[in-house]
Amino acid sequence: MQLNKKNMKKLVSIPIMIFVTAMGFAQEKAQDSENTYKKRVLETAEVEFLASYYTQDGDNAAVTGGLGSEKLTDVTSTLIVSIPLNDDDVLTVDTGISAYTSASSSNINPFDGNKPADPFQASSGASASDVWANGVISYAHSSDDRNNIWSAKLSVSAEFDYYSLGLGGGYTKLFNEKNTELSVNANIYLDTWKAIYPIELRPSTNLGRYGTIWGNTNYNPIFTPFNSEGRNSYSAGFGFSQILSKRLQGALMVDFVNQQGLLSMPFQRVYFGDVANSFIENFQLADAIEQLPNNRTKLAVGGRMNYYINEIFVLRTYYRYYADDWGITSQTASIELPIKITDKFTLYPSYRFYNQTAANYFAPYEQHRSTEEFYTSDYDLSKYSASQYGFGITYTDIFTRAHIYKFGLKSLDLKFNQYERNSGLKASIVTAGLKFIMD
Amino acid sequence: MIKKMILCGLALSFLSSCVAVKEYEKVKINDPDMALSEKNVHRLEATFQSYREAASGANGGKTGGGCGCN
Repeated sequence: MQLNKKNMKKLVSIPIMIFVTAMGFAQEKAQDSENTYKKRVLETAEVEFLASYYTQDGDNAAVTGGLGSEKLTDVTSTLIVSIPLNDDDVLTVDTGISAYTSASSSNINPFDGNKPADPFQASSGASASDVWANGVISYAHSSDDRNNIWSAKLSVSAEFDYYSLGLGGGYTKLFNEKNTELSVNANIYLDTWKAIYPIELRPSTNLGRYGTIWGNTNYNPIFTPFNSEGRNSYSAGFGFSQILSKRLQGALMVDFVNQQGLLSMPFQRVYFGDVANSFIENFQLADAIEQLPNNRTKLAVGGRMNYYINEIFVLRTYYRYYADDWGITSQTASIELPIKITDKFTLYPSYRFYNQTAANYFAPYEQHRSTEEFYTSDYDLSKYSASQYGFGITYTDIFTRAHIYKFGLKSLDLKFNQYERNSGLKASIVTAGLKFIMD
Repeated sequence: MIKKMILCGLALSFLSSCVAVKEYEKVKINDPDMALSEKNVHRLEATFQSYREAASGANGGKTGGGCGCN
């Protein structure tokens, strides 16, 4: 099923129905006493440090038209500081930095390495690595009875060829003795590309400098630089959660996203089946760069259900259905079984399944025709399914006995995930988190 | 699929009308592993998924902004 107006209308009706039903509860006088003791939303400042190490490899790099090394390594660190401003308000500052090296992006210019240019060989030029940095400031205010929560956030992120500014806000309403929760949020991201094109397509490039063209020596790519480099994303999200019994609770979430502007990746090559191939060394020169529509609307509907089995086991489940107007539909399902082995240690085995259909504009290497309006060989937009196996361990000390300066260690998380696509891509990620509470 | 989702939503809505677990009965519900949101440490994993997969959203994670081009 693809995303069309009829289906969109049906899916839009879900949050509306939930909202109408829930507002019925809101008419009931809140049973929470307004005179009860007012607990601070956040007792004391918290600091959380997160880090991850990610690696992947595959043979379908989009930079080299769907055929080439996808080897990539990324290291990310994040610091989240939450500060209670008073009984009701919390300010959170979230900063992160991510550094990566990538074989495929190094081949934006494959001719600046020490070895002959080759799509399966990383080059060593400036595009082989990049640093991404981001910062988010968010503010949340809770009403005296803690049944209303307002939030706002401002985010900024930047890397060499991309800049993003985000604004967002949300409102959460709890009622039915805090058994029911409704939330709504909206975000706007205003992004700007600094378009980097494959080296052979740049007007300033003298290809003779890199070697002799062989194959089709009359190299004549289809290329016009993008005249607009902005990308705006607008999202709206709705959430509904409900305690269903003393051991069971669930949630439904709906997200709408509309993106406009430059949605193509300027450095991703495409090779046409009806154009003769041109090479320098072992590297095939681009016939064109990816061309995608400048508008995309996405809809995701997800649900969670968590069940407390006993003092040792908890069952956590998640399902999501996704559709967009590029022709992609997807399903995600995951299950996690936290196992409390002592009062301080919990194990987290998990499994996640994901599948998607291909975008209307996707075709593999040399399968597109030069007469098409839109084309991409990015395998992230192809049809595939993926499995992810995870295992984590958490140490929790509610008494925060271990200290660093004035901060007591509350919890330590360590998790490993192995991700495998049926199209060949394999990835693994190790994540760690340390949470401290100020004395 | 759509019908199932609507039914699921309605079922959850109606169920909410007959259940009101009191605060003092929420010991199991308040267990940290019962939280309906993911831990912060999970978001680094969710970030790579949002880069490698076409689908995103409805999980409390990123739904827009950022390049995702590496």
